[in-house]
Amino acid sequence: MTSSLSHRSGAQARAPWLTLQRRDAIEGWLFVSPTLLGFLIFFLGPLIAIFIYAMSDWNFLSGEATFVGLTNFEDALLENPDFWHVLRNSAVFALGLVPLNVALALFLAVALSRPFRGVIIFRTIFFAPVITSAIAWAIVWKFMLQGEGGPINQMLALIGITGPNWLREPNWAMAAVIVTRVIKMVGLNMILYIAALQAIPRDYDEAAGLEGASRWQIFRLITWPLLGPTTLVIVVLTTIGSFKVFDHIYQMTGGGPENGTLVLAFYIYQQGFQFFDIGYASALAIIMFVIVTILTLIQVSLRRKDDA
Amino acid sequence: MASVKLQDLRKTFGSVEIIRGIDLDIADGEFVVFVGPSGCGKSTLLRLIAGLEPITHGELTIGDRVVNDVPASARGVAMVFQSYALYPHLTVRENMGFGLKVRKVARAEREKAVSKAAALLKLEALLDRYPRQLSGGQRQRVAIGRAIVANPSVFLFDEPLSNLDAELRVHMRSEIASLHQRVATTMIYVTHDQVEAMTLADRIVVLKDGRVEQVGAPQELYERPANIFVAQFIGSPKMNILKADTAAALSPGGSLPLSATQCGVRPEHLRVGSAAQPGLPGTVVMAEYAGAETLLHIQLENGDTCLALHRDGPPPRVQSAVTLTAEPGRTYAFDADGVAVHTSS
Ligand SMILES: Nc1ncnc2c1ncn2[C@@H]1O[C@H](COP(=O)(O)OP(=O)(O)OP(=O)(O)O)[C@@H](O)[C@H]1O
Ligand SMILES: [Mg+2]
Repeated sequence: MTSSLSHRSGAQARAPWLTLQRRDAIEGWLFVSPTLLGFLIFFLGPLIAIFIYAMSDWNFLSGEATFVGLTNFEDALLENPDFWHVLRNSAVFALGLVPLNVALALFLAVALSRPFRGVIIFRTIFFAPVITSAIAWAIVWKFMLQGEGGPINQMLALIGITGPNWLREPNWAMAAVIVTRVIKMVGLNMILYIAALQAIPRDYDEAAGLEGASRWQIFRLITWPLLGPTTLVIVVLTTIGSFKVFDHIYQMTGGGPENGTLVLAFYIYQQGFQFFDIGYASALAIIMFVIVTILTLIQVSLRRKDDA
Repeated sequence: MASVKLQDLRKTFGSVEIIRGIDLDIADGEFVVFVGPSGCGKSTLLRLIAGLEPITHGELTIGDRVVNDVPASARGVAMVFQSYALYPHLTVRENMGFGLKVRKVARAEREKAVSKAAALLKLEALLDRYPRQLSGGQRQRVAIGRAIVANPSVFLFDEPLSNLDAELRVHMRSEIASLHQRVATTMIYVTHDQVEAMTLADRIVVLKDGRVEQVGAPQELYERPANIFVAQFIGSPKMNILKADTAAALSPGGSLPLSATQCGVRPEHLRVGSAAQPGLPGTVVMAEYAGAETLLHIQLENGDTCLALHRDGPPPRVQSAVTLTAEPGRTYAFDADGVAVHTSS
C-alpha cells in the first residue's frame, strides 16, 4: 500500500504532465493506431478522392481534369432526364425486392427454425445461392429465362402457358431480375431470422398457446413484434443492397431493354467506365450515398416511434 | 374449480420413460405440491397436466372431462412459468389482458378483469410499466396476475419462486398461500424446496425417478414417512439413518421391530448428554452455531456421522465426548429395502 503510493508520487514528480489519464489515453491511441492508419488510407482517402472527382470535369481518355464546382450535381439533378429515370428504376427495384425478400426470408425462417429431420439440408439449400458467384448465378438464370427454348418457358408450355421473352420486355425484365436476385440473397436474411427466432424463449409460445392464442395470433402478437429489431436490420441491409445491385443487371440485361432495368449502380458504372466521365460518376455515387443514408435514417426513426 | 385425476399417467421421451405410471386424485380446491430432486420429472408431470406435452399413456381427468386429447387452451388451466414468460414488448396491463384479448373478450370486460386481479395483487401502480421495468418479485406477481385473469379451474406453478432471493421467496410464499385462501381454486405447485412444500401444501406428492414415493399431508410425511427417501427428503436438516444395532442404544427403553435393519432419527429429536449418561456415545466434530440452535456433527464409534440439533443451554464443545438419546417415540424403523416398518410395541 505505502510502497505503491510513494511509487506513484515519484513518477509524478519526474513527469508531472504524464497523469494517469494521459497515460491511458496515449496507450489507447497506440493500440488503435494500426487500424486507424488502415482506415485513413483505405477508407477516408478514397472517400475524399470521390468528393474531389465529383467536383471536377475529368475525362479519363483526354486525361484533363478541371475544377467545375457543383456542375456535375446540377447535371444529374436538374438537366439530365436519364438520372430521374434511373432513380425511378432503382426505386421500383427496391420496392419490389425488399418486401419480397423479407417476406420470403421470414416464411422460410419460420418453417426452418425448429428442428426436424433434414432441416439442415433445407437450410443449406436456401443458403447455398448466397455464397455462389453472382455472375455464375446470373448466367444460369439468363439461360433459364431465354424467350424460346428457355427451360422456364418450356415448363410453362407444359401447362399451356406461353411465357414472355423475359429479359427482352422492360417490365418482365425488371420482375425477372428482382426475383432471381431475391432467390439468390434470401438465404442470408433467412439465417438472420432463424437466429432471431431461436433466441425467443419457447415459454412465450407456450404461455400464449395456453392462454388460448392461435398459432397465427402468437405469430402476429408475440413473435413478429419480438423480431422487430432483426426486421429493421434486415430491411436496412436489404435496401442498401438493392441500391447497390450491379452484377445481376450487368450480366442479365445490361440495363436494357429500353433502359428498363438501368438502375443507379449500373448507371454509375456506365458513366464512369464506359463513357469515362469520372466526375459525373463520382457525383452520382455521392448522391446514391445520400439517398441510402436518408432511407436508413427514415427506417430507423420509424422503428423508434414503434418502440415508444 | 375442478378436481384433477391422474390414472397410470406415463410419458416417454424417445425410448426413455420419464413419468412411470402415476396415480393421483386431487380434490377440488386442494393445494397440492409436487416435490422431488432435480430431474425426477416434476416439470414434465406439470406440463402433461397443462397440455404442453402429449400424454404417452394413461388418463388425465380435469373436472369431469378426460382431457388427454383436449388442447392446452381448452383445459381450463393457467400456468405460472419459472421464467414468468412475461411478453417483454407488452405492458403489465397488456400482459395480464392478453389471454382475454386473444379470446375476443370485449375491452370493457377485459379492463375489469385486469383491474380486479391487479387490486388483488397490489399491482395497480405498475399497470403501465414494461416487464423490464419491474423487480423480480413484481414480475412474479404479474405472472400470477395473468394466471388469475384467465380465471382457470386449476392453477399450475412451476418453481415460481426459484428466481427470487431468500427473503422475497418467504414473502411471496405467504402471498401465494393467502391467494389460495381467497380464490380457493385447485392449485398444483412444483418445487424442489421441501420447506416451500411443507408450508404451502394441503398435500405433498414426493416424486423420485418418475414415480410417486408418498402422498400425504405435510405432517403425515414428516411423522410417518413411507421410506427412507421420503424420510430424508422431508425435514431439514435431514434425518439420520443408522444401523439398527447401533440405534438400539439411542432409546434405552424401546425396541425396534425384528425386521428392521435401519433406524432413522431426526436431528431435532436427538438429545445430547454428557459422556457419563446412558445412550449412544460419540464425539462432537463440528458445531454450526445459528443463534437459536446449534447443529452438531457427531462422530459415532463406528465412524458414522450423526447430526443433532442442540437448543437449550450452551452447546458441548468440539472434540468433547457426548452421548445421544432419542426422544421417546421419535425413531423410525426401516427394512433392508428402505421401506418403513411399523413399530408393533
Ligand atoms: N423434451 C424432452 N426431451 C427429452 N427429455 C426430456 C425432455 N424434457 C425433460 N426431459 C428429461 O426428463 C427428466 C425430467 O425432467 P423435468 O424437467 O421434468 O425434471 P424436474 O423434476 O422438473 O427437474 P428440476 O427440478 O431440475 O426442474 C430429465 O431427465 C430430463 O432430461
Ligand atoms: Mg423443473
